[in-house]
Amino acid sequence: MSKKVLVVDDDPDVRLFSVNVLEENGYTPIEATDGEEGMKFVKKEKPDLILLDVLMPKESGVRLYRNLKTDAALKKIPVIMLSGIARKSFLRSQKVLTQFGGAEIPEPDAYLEKPVEPEELAKTIKKVIG
Amino acid sequence: MSKILLIDDEEDNVRVLAMSLRSDDYEVVTAYNGEEGLEVFQKESPDIVLTDIKMPGMDGIEVLGKIKALDPDAEVIIITGHGDIDNAIESLKYGASDFINKPIRDEALSVALGRAEDKLEIKRKLKEYTDNLESRVKAATAELRRQSSFLTKLIRSSNDGIVATDKDLNIVVFNPGAERIFGHARSDVIGKIKMDDLYPSEIEDILENEKARQNIAGEIPWKETMITAKDGTRIPVRFAGTLLYEEKQMMGSVAFFQDLREIKRLEKELLLSERLAAVGQTVAGLAHCIKNILHGFKGGMYLVDIGIKKDNSNKLRDGWKMIKRNITRTSDLAMDLLSYSKEREAEYEECDPNDIADEICELLKDTAQENNVEIIKDFNPSIGEVSMDARATYRALLNLMSNAIDACVFDADTDKNWQVSLKTARENSIVKFEIADNGMGMSDEVKEKLFTSFFSTKGHRGTGLGLLVTRKLVEEHKGKIEVTSQVGKGTAFTIQLPVSET
Repeated sequence: MSKKVLVVDDDPDVRLFSVNVLEENGYTPIEATDGEEGMKFVKKEKPDLILLDVLMPKESGVRLYRNLKTDAALKKIPVIMLSGIARKSFLRSQKVLTQFGGAEIPEPDAYLEKPVEPEELAKTIKKVIG
Repeated sequence: MSKILLIDDEEDNVRVLAMSLRSDDYEVVTAYNGEEGLEVFQKESPDIVLTDIKMPGMDGIEVLGKIKALDPDAEVIIITGHGDIDNAIESLKYGASDFINKPIRDEALSVALGRAEDKLEIKRKLKEYTDNLESRVKAATAELRRQSSFLTKLIRSSNDGIVATDKDLNIVVFNPGAERIFGHARSDVIGKIKMDDLYPSEIEDILENEKARQNIAGEIPWKETMITAKDGTRIPVRFAGTLLYEEKQMMGSVAFFQDLREIKRLEKELLLSERLAAVGQTVAGLAHCIKNILHGFKGGMYLVDIGIKKDNSNKLRDGWKMIKRNITRTSDLAMDLLSYSKEREAEYEECDPNDIADEICELLKDTAQENNVEIIKDFNPSIGEVSMDARATYRALLNLMSNAIDACVFDADTDKNWQVSLKTARENSIVKFEIADNGMGMSDEVKEKLFTSFFSTKGHRGTGLGLLVTRKLVEEHKGKIEVTSQVGKGTAFTIQLPVSET
């Protein structure tokens, strides 16, 4: 059975792109359009990997990532960030949240900045979950 | 006890008199002629001199003159024989204290000596008092000089320009601070320039008003103004000044000037750096926006590649649509950026606001229908033709109407009958458009950021510039834009544009 990958992004074009890359490489994609929906699907579908955007309406990727990594049941699920936001900015925002009383959380398994080549995305997914 | 010098050519007289005086506790020195008398006087400095008037050589009158020349305070008593009254009176003219007749009676002598002693005492007291007075005046003068020098140094060392005038408004104080600000040398100002030659009329007016009001409390708050320096430079200054009074009489004026050039320069610098920071933010926002569009293009290319490789027309179509969408996004962004960055003046032309509104509704009809959104037109037919910027109005309305439809599309409450209404109205020279939707509405947080560049709640669909552009267009039209919104209930934008009749 192929591995399930949850794509969380509000941009339908990005989802379409990611879904196609996943399908082409033999994974089963699931789509969520914002952070809130993303969390719902993580709990329901128990995906093997999450492809996560940062800037989204409702709950942002910064929040969702933090919620995932502080949940004992979900923290093991690998996360690849895929965003127009620079890796540095994302890590800094997490650091600020930690300083404001949040828990220390690990960095994502991989961080890809848009635009990303399909080959690179596929290679990264393979490296993280095989 | 006083020291007495006794001068007489008759030695017996001297001996008897000296004995008598010594028994009265006087210290007595003696001389037997005028010349010797003077020598002894200089050596012994007696308080009182008793001299016979008639002596061979230098007589008593001459001795008196010489002694008075040596010490005007010396008490000289002249001893006269009978028939010497005329001489005695002359001796008084030369400053003798008294005279007594021969033969000398003890009583007369003690009265004369007593008087001489009293006079000496008075003189001593007077001298003491005078000496005291002198030293006091000296001390007071020194203190005054010290204070004056302190005040002068205080004024000189002030960073502020200090200018003071006398009651006729002649400048009497002009410190180095004032020299730096006004560019005049102190020596070219003091006593040469009057207040009105130096101050701008504004300051002059303030001081003149003070004078008219007789404002004894005399405080003027700091005020910013401009002065003209010697070389014609206009210099921004902070100014405070007042009139000086002494017992209700005006004695002059004083004014303080602070050079604001450095502060103004720093303010300008700060403004510039803030603008640069804003530009920096804009560039970062722009880069982010472009990265997303690029990602869309890559996605489209990828789908087209797969479509070609696998001969899959669905993939081809999806990919091609994606590329087209991102071409639209690119052109939207470019348009918005251009409108946002370009300084533009409203171009007024004759048009009917209802026609513009109708055109927008027609343009968006299909999109709205696809998304189950109903467009309601509510146009006031009596508006008629007006002169306004039709193109700007078109763009502003298109932005706001597209936003309104998006607000419905993004609304999670699918039970709603989504509606977007466009209402036109006119109040005198103001044309009003109201764009209302019953979509998702905005939180206060979103409302606050509404007019921030590259802020978008539409994720990758918005450029984050639309409302900025809209506001800019409205402002260029000297109009107003207002918004009310409630989460879950909807949003209403109103734009009011001043127009003129055609």
